[in-house]
Amino acid sequence: MEESDVRSKLRGWIIKHAKTPPGAGFNDQTQLLEDGILSSLDIVEFVLFIESLLGEDVDVEDIEPEVFTSIDTLHAAFFAAA
Amino acid sequence: MRSERRSVRTGFLASVERFGDRLALQLGAEVLSYRALHDRAAALAATLDAHAIEREPLLTAVFGHRSFTAYAGVLGGLFRGHGYVPLNPAFPTDRTRAMLLRSGCRSLIVDSHGARQLGEVLEGLAEPLVLLLPEQEDVSAFAARWPAHRFLGRADLLGADRWRATDVDPNGMAYLLFTSGSTGQPKGVMVAHRNVTHFVDAMVERYAITELDRFSQTFDLTFDLSAFDMFVAWERGACLVCPTQSQKMLPGKYLSDCGITVWFSVPSTAVLMSRLRMLKPGKFPGLRLSLFCGEALPVEVLQKWADAAPNSVLENLYGPTELTIACTLYRWEAQRSPAECELGVVPIGEPYPGMKVLVADERQREVAVGETGELLMTGPQLTLGYYEDAARTAAAFVTPPGRSEVYYRTGDRVRRPPDGAPLVYLGRVDNQIKIQGYRVELGEVEAVLREEAGVDVAIAVGWPVTPSGADGIVGFLGAEQADLASIRERVITRLPPYMHPSELRLVAEMPLNANGKVDRKALLSSLSQAPTQ
Repeated sequence: MEESDVRSKLRGWIIKHAKTPPGAGFNDQTQLLEDGILSSLDIVEFVLFIESLLGEDVDVEDIEPEVFTSIDTLHAAFFAAA
Repeated sequence: MRSERRSVRTGFLASVERFGDRLALQLGAEVLSYRALHDRAAALAATLDAHAIEREPLLTAVFGHRSFTAYAGVLGGLFRGHGYVPLNPAFPTDRTRAMLLRSGCRSLIVDSHGARQLGEVLEGLAEPLVLLLPEQEDVSAFAARWPAHRFLGRADLLGADRWRATDVDPNGMAYLLFTSGSTGQPKGVMVAHRNVTHFVDAMVERYAITELDRFSQTFDLTFDLSAFDMFVAWERGACLVCPTQSQKMLPGKYLSDCGITVWFSVPSTAVLMSRLRMLKPGKFPGLRLSLFCGEALPVEVLQKWADAAPNSVLENLYGPTELTIACTLYRWEAQRSPAECELGVVPIGEPYPGMKVLVADERQREVAVGETGELLMTGPQLTLGYYEDAARTAAAFVTPPGRSEVYYRTGDRVRRPPDGAPLVYLGRVDNQIKIQGYRVELGEVEAVLREEAGVDVAIAVGWPVTPSGADGIVGFLGAEQADLASIRERVITRLPPYMHPSELRLVAEMPLNANGKVDRKALLSSLSQAPTQ
């Protein structure tokens, strides 16, 4: 999958599931946790979504919680090497 | 240490004397020693006392979230001899404003999260307030925008040595905590110092808490279970380890990386960890105590937790805010416990020391052993009632016929156990509905749904709603995919016809309320918005 596709799918999921709707300035650097856009209550579904994009299981033992900081960090952690 | 009557701050002050250099609080990589936390709290208290508004109620609000200011603010309120009123900037501002108005609180301690929301909260508030924003260098912009209120910033902070302890009435409020009321108006539960100190004493003894313990802090300060975390930890010099926003995303990692020894959360957090495959056998060897409270605890999840934390004592606690944090407990024993579970959930056990149980019918008369009824309790943790709400206090705090004590009606349904057997939670009294005249315990339907669908969370609601109850049941399964037709086929073989769900729905993400519990009302309203097919 193209990088732009992945980023746009991540953005789409987040906009759909956000507890606090991201403002007009929402971009790949927006702070997802600090701004309350993503919360721990979303984590299971979000990891499942990432797994569906990757086509393989994510081992949560191997990831640092900071990967959920922004779309940039998510992309770097899960998709950049793929 | 100053000699004073026992209150919630007493244990913390004693720990400052004994363990001044040990860590009291950790937030991500940042830490505060007992001495440093004391000094912050004392500075807040001294500063607000110096600017106190005449005849203000003995309450200080803390508008903050997961910050040193928020915790120091809680203590700062207590140092003033006030009760604290926790307000969360992440919650809807209308609700926060309503709580502030209802409390009549005139002093606020505000952290940087709270400062960003202040505009909306202060909108339309006429009574002048004193707002202390210790993280703000310059508060002149706030003062210019809201001239009716007094703003104090970092530059206004007095030294900790300026704090003068005043006597605290053990019957006075330690905190005022708002819970949702059935009418939509939040109810303020007044919890007295003596309620909390009784609870804390029982807990530190039972769990042999020491200064070497590291407590999780998963609960929001507006949720009374956070009072366990803070005051039980600080009573014995332990460290409270508050997860950052990102640490909250992966609770298993937070637990391991932070060396937590005492874990306390809602069962939903354990369910979430189970779904993330974080509960692997032997994963948390350093954990010595695991406590759950706040909602029904599924047996399956607890068994996974027991395998993941082989050195931990496991207990299921139960208690409404009105009975101070928790008032019954059940210790999990791998051999004995599975047979004591009912409806797939862990029993809530026996009352805390000094607390008394009454299982009663609608007229508050005790039911026979084996019968179900509403759980009523009394004892030293019985709180003072609802703030400035005599009618609702009288309705919930009652003297049952033939008894001399006031009992709190929990609204929870239990079976009256034979001597020595544990109490088993069967659901809310109002989760018992009538369908075609039959009494239906929705918890029972949910237990069968969970088992047959193999999911951790299943919710049953009466639908369509009728004046006398409901015409049928709709079941919600917490899963993304499932063969609903075959699940329903299996479910109906196990339940009488009037308990058959007419429809099952998949909910990938259960709506949760502010405390992380499943929001039944939201599920019900999803039915009223979209007609069933």
